[in-house]
Amino acid sequence: MIGIDTRIKRGSGELAILALLNQEPLHGYEISKRIAQRTAGVLQFNLASLYPLLYRMEKRGWVKGKWEEAKSGRKRRYYHLTRNGKKQLAPLREKWGMFFQALHRIAGVAHAG
Amino acid sequence: MPDNQGLIRERLGKLGLETRREEEILRELGEHLADHAAALEARGVTPDAAAQEVLESVSNWPELRNEILRVETEEVTMDYRLNYRSKALWLPALCALTLSNVLLALMQVFGPLPHFYWLSRDMSMRPYFTFFVPWLISQPVVGAMAAYWSRRAGGAVLHQLLAALAPAIALLGLFVLIIPFSIILDKHVAHNIRLTAFLVLTATWVLLPSVPLLIGAAPFLRKPQAQA
Repeated sequence: MIGIDTRIKRGSGELAILALLNQEPLHGYEISKRIAQRTAGVLQFNLASLYPLLYRMEKRGWVKGKWEEAKSGRKRRYYHLTRNGKKQLAPLREKWGMFFQALHRIAGVAHAG
Repeated sequence: MPDNQGLIRERLGKLGLETRREEEILRELGEHLADHAAALEARGVTPDAAAQEVLESVSNWPELRNEILRVETEEVTMDYRLNYRSKALWLPALCALTLSNVLLALMQVFGPLPHFYWLSRDMSMRPYFTFFVPWLISQPVVGAMAAYWSRRAGGAVLHQLLAALAPAIALLGLFVLIIPFSIILDKHVAHNIRLTAFLVLTATWVLLPSVPLLIGAAPFLRKPQAQA
């Protein structure tokens, strides 16, 4: 597995989290699990890298954490995408799309989008 | 089940945040460790080994502590305070209004004269229609600019539409205010023409410019990608 630079990981992590939460509210562990699954392990967030990112996004008003009962019966802090967070998705997608296009032009890096 | 919150507290130390928030963070991180350990145990790892592995998954606890403190205590920057509505509605709308009025002023100074059509022969007392053709021709550019800007900022179709129509909406607001004020303050305008004046002003400066503004905006009125 290729290690991803922390700064790239943080930037892409915001988009990944927003995209996941756009589908349904999730708690932290589930977010990290789904990111790993959907990126085939290329992007991995552990406790140390995930929560500061979630707290920053919450402070910006993009996500909102609420304690809710999980299927297991335990209370978990589920992150909900806010209206403001939803509005960040399109510009972030566009920025990352432009970033990959630029990389593709200069270094022949292809992307799936 | 190990006391995950206690284990995290030992490694992070006291954060010095508001008690409720600090407890919430410890509880949330503890739940994450519990889930991680449960996942390892489900793969056949012994409980002790799983507990050890989840704690070792954080290679640098002091760095995590500093990162949490940095996030929790940092001021939210202006970029994020400038919320969605400002970016997707107010800014494009204000710029459209300014651009539209600057174009009108420039054309009044440098352009051809507008066409006036009075409602009666008594020109001094009757309201009149104004057709400022060059200005009307320039309005699709204003509408297109505002709608495109709003969409790029993630604005909903309604916001794109409102931003594009901002010059016309602002004038409508102005007329709605002017008529009641003129009834009270202006003794030289006959009361019997006020409703007609309002309708004429609305038709010539609100409804008519709305058409080219909408024509310009139409190609850009689309749902942003996130909502599409």
